[in-house]
Amino acid sequence: MNPPIRLSMSMSLDGFIAGPDDRAGQELGRDGGRLFNWMDDRMSDGPSGQVFRELMATGAVISGRRTFELAGRWQGDHHDGVPIFVLTHRIDDTDVPPGSARFITDAEDCAEQARAAAGDRAVMVHGAGAAQALVRAGLLDEMEIHLVPVLLGGGRRLFDALPPDHIELELVRRLEARDVTHLRYRVRHDGPRP
Amino acid sequence: MGRLVLYMSMSLDGFIAGPGDGKDNPFGTRGHRLHEWLGDGGEDVSGYRPADESGQTVFDELMATGAVITGKRTGDFVGYWDGDHHDGVPIFVPTHRAPASMPPGDVRFVTDGIESCVAQAKAAAGDRDVMLHGACTATECLRARVLDVLAIQLIPVLFGQGRRLFEGLGPGHIELRRVRALESPGALHLRYQVEYA
Repeated sequence: MNPPIRLSMSMSLDGFIAGPDDRAGQELGRDGGRLFNWMDDRMSDGPSGQVFRELMATGAVISGRRTFELAGRWQGDHHDGVPIFVLTHRIDDTDVPPGSARFITDAEDCAEQARAAAGDRAVMVHGAGAAQALVRAGLLDEMEIHLVPVLLGGGRRLFDALPPDHIELELVRRLEARDVTHLRYRVRHDGPRP
Repeated sequence: MGRLVLYMSMSLDGFIAGPGDGKDNPFGTRGHRLHEWLGDGGEDVSGYRPADESGQTVFDELMATGAVITGKRTGDFVGYWDGDHHDGVPIFVPTHRAPASMPPGDVRFVTDGIESCVAQAKAAAGDRDVMLHGACTATECLRARVLDVLAIQLIPVLFGQGRRLFEGLGPGHIELRRVRALESPGALHLRYQVEYA
């Protein structure tokens, strides 16, 4: 099996990936930093360390435009200089992204290029927009949700723009760690259930 | 004194019913998907007991509760389980106005607030927990800081559309403490203690 295109997102139990009013200067929204407490353990030998090392071992990144901009374009390098494919609706030819980042408008094209660039490594997907675009196009293989035991009560949702077609998942790994449950789901492409 | 425990089956994207839920379609379109972790049911509520050990643990806890609180909307949809959710324990319904015609069985409409409703249900349940069902009522209970435990059956599916469990709770985050996670073939049973600031 090919290495997967895998979403990675921290999410509150009520479905938010950022607090209210996320913008430049307050990238995670109000209180949104709460979702990333588990990252304090990213250098540990425990599950959160393992998850972080896996992320850093991915061979390409797919990001939504909004996430990319809020992250300050990662100064062109998310990790190890791997290629960053930024899904966007419109490309301005005068705006050349830094480093290993490039803009791309078509989800299928994006997935294909990212897969090729990553070779035998997984592709990491980040951002709600990119995630949903890939889900809609049937191109996402796995989603790893870092489920955080908190109700944020408001903010930006991971899933809010999907059609009413059920997408079946399969829980393939669950790692419990401090302040988080890492849930890895495989997206079932074998069609809807009867 | 028992605790107030919310029991809800929820899709990974946060839905507890499909689109278009209503009296004739209580789970919404294809909403039954969320309840497949339960058994086939039939005439008897106890017939829904799942086949796997994790599912049975959760189901048995739910069926051991000493009172039920349900929202009026949910209650109306399911006809108040004909007045008997399980073992004839009382069913409490917080509402602004009691209906003109009472449903059968031990259904009690409480019009003087959610706190009073919870207090009455807990008193009726004695040492046993109180089961809460319904999204709006859950939100109301969280705001009033009277919900003790969330028991969420997380179902591995994206619904895309439907009715959400957590809608409009309002900012001001609420911390949870995970107390248990059990896996069933078709559900992850998550249990959280609510830790109000």
